[in-house]
Amino acid sequence: MDEKKSLEQSLELMAHLDGVESAGRRKAVEAWLAADPAAVALRDELSWVRQAVRSHEPLGQVPDSREFYWSQIRRRIEQADAVTAAAARPSRSRFADWMAWLVPVTGVAAVTLLATLHPWQSGSATSGVTEASAMTYTSETDGVTIHWID
Amino acid sequence: MPPSLNNDYPSSPDEALVGWAQKGDTEAFEELIFRHRDKIYARAMMMMRNEDEALDLSQEAWVKAWQRLHQFQGDSSFATWMTRIVINLCLDQIRRQKKMRAESIEQIEEEAGGVERQMPVEHVNPTEGLEKEELRIRIDEAMAKLTEAHRTVLVLHEFQGLEYKEIAKKVGISIGTVMSRLFYARRRMASLLQGLKRERKA
Repeated sequence: MDEKKSLEQSLELMAHLDGVESAGRRKAVEAWLAADPAAVALRDELSWVRQAVRSHEPLGQVPDSREFYWSQIRRRIEQADAVTAAAARPSRSRFADWMAWLVPVTGVAAVTLLATLHPWQSGSATSGVTEASAMTYTSETDGVTIHWID
Repeated sequence: MPPSLNNDYPSSPDEALVGWAQKGDTEAFEELIFRHRDKIYARAMMMMRNEDEALDLSQEAWVKAWQRLHQFQGDSSFATWMTRIVINLCLDQIRRQKKMRAESIEQIEEEAGGVERQMPVEHVNPTEGLEKEELRIRIDEAMAKLTEAHRTVLVLHEFQGLEYKEIAKKVGISIGTVMSRLFYARRRMASLLQGLKRERKA
């Protein structure tokens, strides 16, 4: 019998032991067990290992005291709660982020546009600085007058 | 939420403690931890074979349990629910570790049953006549010598009580691979337990 077929047969034997083999294969496994003492030996080995392991689950003991162990868990719970709370806190929306830079940019653009479209009045500054030239912008609709002194 | 002042935690059943904990009673939750912490830690230790990791993952399991306590419906015992959480955390950790390291050729060969194929069948049960505690220690020692892949399948099948297909889904392998790993794990355990008995006699 080749190795692969032998392994398949052994796995079927194990499935039989665990009670999960298909109904169609049960008879084949039982026939193998009836004819081959090696199959019986393998089944017995798998069986006692399974029984021994299942009924003797290794035990463990937390190395820390009750108070210390609990304090560690409580701290981690508090940290996790803090992260959750921070994530749930309302943050500035994407719209607000856009508005934060859109408003000043729009303002500058508007001023530039108005400056381009409206006539500028040139004249001398009235501040007494005779060398300086001045420009005045007036918008009657906005009721604004801007004096620009160089 | 403040603790329920009139609750007698140590003498209350798990179901009552869970109910109080679900309402925010941390003292009830602490009592649950005290009752089950060793079992949860032991399960993590069996999977990871490393005390620090087992301790860390067992604590993480309790944190997760607190956060998901409202999901616990009582379909299984609280202890069973807790072991599922810690096992899932261990499997996640193992997956992360596997991504970080390339498995050695020896391990790949062993997962394929390279050594176990050659092992003779143990006709004598070496566990007969042993004291329960002694056998428990021997099984723990033998499990420590299994490869991680074999041990994981063995723990999930024998201690978590999962069927082949459930293990396949959880671990992300085929049912055939689950069966071969379980088969080789059991064969290796038989050999290791026999060897431990011989060592003891010598």
